[in-house]
Amino acid sequence: MKQFIDQILQSSKVVALPVMTHPGIEAIGKSVREAVTDGQIHYQAIKYISENFDTVACTSIMDLTVEAEAFGAKINLPEHEVPSVSERLVSDAESVEALVVPTLDKCRIPQYLLANKLAAENIKNKPIFSGCIGPYSLAGRLYDMSEIMVAIYIDPETINLLLSKCTEFLINYCNALKATGTAGVIIAEPAAGLLSGDDCMMYSTLFVKQIVDAVQDENFTVILHNCGNTGQCTDAMVASGAKALHFGNAIDMEGVLKQCPSDVVVMGNLNPVGVFKQGSVDSVKLETRALLQKAAGYKNFVISSGCDLPPFVPEINIRAFLETVANF
Amino acid sequence: MNNELLEKLSECVEFGKINLASPYPPQMKGLPGADEITKEALEAGVTPTEILNDALIFAMNKVGQKFSENKIFVPQMLLSAKAMGASMVHLKPFFANGSVQRKGVFILGTVFGDLHDIGKNLFAMMVEGAGWEVIDLGIDVKPEKFVAAVQQHPTAIVGISALLTTTMVNMKPVIEAIKASSPSTKVIVGGAPLSADFAVTIGADGYGKNPQEGIAWLDKISA
Repeated sequence: MKQFIDQILQSSKVVALPVMTHPGIEAIGKSVREAVTDGQIHYQAIKYISENFDTVACTSIMDLTVEAEAFGAKINLPEHEVPSVSERLVSDAESVEALVVPTLDKCRIPQYLLANKLAAENIKNKPIFSGCIGPYSLAGRLYDMSEIMVAIYIDPETINLLLSKCTEFLINYCNALKATGTAGVIIAEPAAGLLSGDDCMMYSTLFVKQIVDAVQDENFTVILHNCGNTGQCTDAMVASGAKALHFGNAIDMEGVLKQCPSDVVVMGNLNPVGVFKQGSVDSVKLETRALLQKAAGYKNFVISSGCDLPPFVPEINIRAFLETVANF
Repeated sequence: MNNELLEKLSECVEFGKINLASPYPPQMKGLPGADEITKEALEAGVTPTEILNDALIFAMNKVGQKFSENKIFVPQMLLSAKAMGASMVHLKPFFANGSVQRKGVFILGTVFGDLHDIGKNLFAMMVEGAGWEVIDLGIDVKPEKFVAAVQQHPTAIVGISALLTTTMVNMKPVIEAIKASSPSTKVIVGGAPLSADFAVTIGADGYGKNPQEGIAWLDKISA
């Protein structure tokens, strides 16, 4: 961790870390379904990104269903889109109490561990970041996202029990990811961004912090991603203890950089759809330059997409982004 | 007395007090909620129209306003919507027999290929709270289902939701199918990856960046 964080904090140049694997999947001629079910293909996609784009690090697929599936949730696996949970797994105190924390040999977890292991072992030119879902977002997928939003007020004991089970699993999973040799993990906690700051602290940060305390050290950085946060959750994100925070495009990065401690790496936040996917080369350059200018002077800033780049982003837009960063 | 009940009901909806058993909000724990107060109001002679307009729509408007100002967040909004729903249950017979008029019918669904529903659900609740009858077609809704719903409710306005960049493009064939079957039907679209420009390119009549914007468009189009 120290090496990665220090490299950023001590560099006078802004580096880029867009969260992306889909361009790699598309370039090697595979479908999303193949990549999220086969660790070898997943690894090949990361390898393509590492070899063809000038980024400071590479990320694995941001698939927010692999953990829920391990718990037993039914998954929809479309050909060219990231999977989604198709129905809730638990609905009350009884079903949450009966929920068993899965072992790491369930469903697609072994394939994800394989992809991370292959990437960490074979990609030597830059660090690899694993990915997993955050505890509140995982609990929401198991309990139903709309229902958990209400249940934190109506039945907080049940939700806390569910969060504890999710956290126990995520600690085990993150330790296994760490053991593959990756440089850290991006914990994606988008659903927590729909909460107030206090609720984010109580139902997300307290649990994320347990994961951070269990896995983060000098060689393994936790990057906490919360793209739903519009500003109300920033203090709660800082309180997680993660050494790097990743923000979505709904937030003002200048305000975030002022708010976050200077020894915490702050990443964000170009719109992955409006800028990267739907924009032109010129508009990508314009938006990238505008963000770089806003963040100028903050050595802890890493320019990134506000979330995972979706499938079928034009490669020329990614190159326009990286060129603009390199020339800034 | 009637005004007092309407005020109490409005407060229940604004702060998400669903019923007596609900522990939320803590300051109203042990007190009757929207469910019980609506029943009491009807028994006391408050008309269903007064309940709808002076308590429910009034309160949900405040809720929407607070949400757009980041004073409350999704959980609080959903609790308010649940409280409104608990009250609406008692008004359903009056809607059915026509003694209470709503602003119109709004058909809503998440586009085919897309299983996400939190945005759609939130908007459905807010639109209902704004005085509309909402027909929720659910998630992964194919064009023919939208068309059938429009044929059943020819004066309805249609809303289509999408969360994914790969499914937002499916909105266009849905709009084309609706317009082919019923050219005068108005369609509004919404969802995280969408923009006003995109809405225009796929032939939508309206775009809601957030629930408040969507409701303002509905009210304008139906005025």
